[in-house]
Amino acid sequence: MLCEKCKKKEATVMYKESINGHKSSYALCADCAAEIGAFDSTKKLISDPFENMNSLFGSLFGLAPYKKSTGVDVKRCNLCGASFNELAAEGMAGCPNCYSEFEDELSATIARIHGSSVHTGAAPAKYMEGREKKKQIEAVEKELHDAVAAEEYEKAATLRDKLRELKSDEGGMK
Amino acid sequence: MMWYELTGKDSDVVVSSRVRLARNLCDYPFGKRLDESGAKEIIEKVRSVFEGVGDYTFTDYSTLDPTVKSAEYERHKISREFAEAKTPTALIESDEKNLYIMLLEEDHIRIQSIMAGLSLNEAYASASSADTLIDSSLRIAYNEKLGYLTHCPTNLGTGMRASVMMFLPGITAAGGIRSLQNQLGKLGLTIRGMSGEGSASNGCLYQISNQVTLGNSECEILTKLTEICEKITEQERSLREKMKADESGRFTDRIMRSYGTMLYATLIDTSELVKLYADVRLGACLGIIDRVTPKTLDEILVRGMPNVITLENRGAVNANRRDRCRAEMVRYVLAGASEK
Repeated sequence: MLCEKCKKKEATVMYKESINGHKSSYALCADCAAEIGAFDSTKKLISDPFENMNSLFGSLFGLAPYKKSTGVDVKRCNLCGASFNELAAEGMAGCPNCYSEFEDELSATIARIHGSSVHTGAAPAKYMEGREKKKQIEAVEKELHDAVAAEEYEKAATLRDKLRELKSDEGGMK
Repeated sequence: MMWYELTGKDSDVVVSSRVRLARNLCDYPFGKRLDESGAKEIIEKVRSVFEGVGDYTFTDYSTLDPTVKSAEYERHKISREFAEAKTPTALIESDEKNLYIMLLEEDHIRIQSIMAGLSLNEAYASASSADTLIDSSLRIAYNEKLGYLTHCPTNLGTGMRASVMMFLPGITAAGGIRSLQNQLGKLGLTIRGMSGEGSASNGCLYQISNQVTLGNSECEILTKLTEICEKITEQERSLREKMKADESGRFTDRIMRSYGTMLYATLIDTSELVKLYADVRLGACLGIIDRVTPKTLDEILVRGMPNVITLENRGAVNANRRDRCRAEMVRYVLAGASEK
């Protein structure tokens, strides 16, 4: 396996870090690992006096702490181009797409702000239709289950067709 | 009519109710990542939704006189951030529906409805009608788990901030604001003074609003806030009665002195107006002053704000002239009120 940073030399070190519960790991060659201070834990702690300031600001705004970039494989939002570090420093999302792009990184923080992380309120019309359909599907599934249990196979066959029809329409929603 | 020209429920304690919905378009970045052409596209898209619909008017805020913008903020139609924005912004409004739709405030679209008295459900219904209209033509950023997607994660979910502006001289005098703040915090609500934290000269006006926007439905948030405000109203009324029962006569004297100043002063600055407002509104609510209604005083307070004064009076070119115009306006409105 090639080093994930220089993509030239053979990876010999598995570098793992865990910052406030956020874990990441990279396969690196010895040179790249040394460059980012993987062998020297004290170097990382004192090398950037502003690192903790950034994490402080990030936390104040309710996002996960700023993570110093290792220069390896920085994920960017494909709509606005923001990295997670930028969002953490700003305390704001870069665009609507950031919420799906950085879903894992943001989920704990959102739960910390709001206490619950699932929306139960109003939705745009097309999602409301989707919710309605989901309810219908669940109801038919239950009926089908009951019909099979009661050995009413003719009724079960009709319900199965109805279910298939409902599910085929469902794919259109994004 | 503007909210302060109407009388709402529990207007002795509740000045106004406001509901704000944050909405964003799917394919555009937020804030500083949105370039000028993107901003103009968003403005154009939302503007076209309201074209030819009802009595909405469109104003390009990018080129508007700063005094006009600040006056609209002082009338509570728009936010301070929106009034002070240096980037392209626009407002779609309907005074008839008490609806103000800010384009490119913190979010792409912020629908705001403000009504007199305790009327959160009515304000929500009004904001929601504009939301439905926008949703029928534009792709709004939303996902099943997080609800409406907003620039700041603190607005995710319903994207709704409901707030009630309350007049609380009784609780303020009894030193109960801090304890109220603690209790509201436990319920996911916040309270803040109208002119900043810890300010004594805030006219006893406080804004109470929901803090959490994700996990509760709009209906749950509005019901909870309404119920809490009703309880605060009851408590406030009983504390006012205790103040009125003061046998030394000092309480009534203070109110009548403030009323006298309003009736006869020729120079009133903003901070004095705010203080007089609190005394005279309390006197009007308790029946100590019977010629003025709380609504009249709310109107005086809004019309007495510096930018509104400057806008409504050509001669109000400096602070001294504004103080003169303010005192004149107060006398004029009170004279009109006592004739009714």
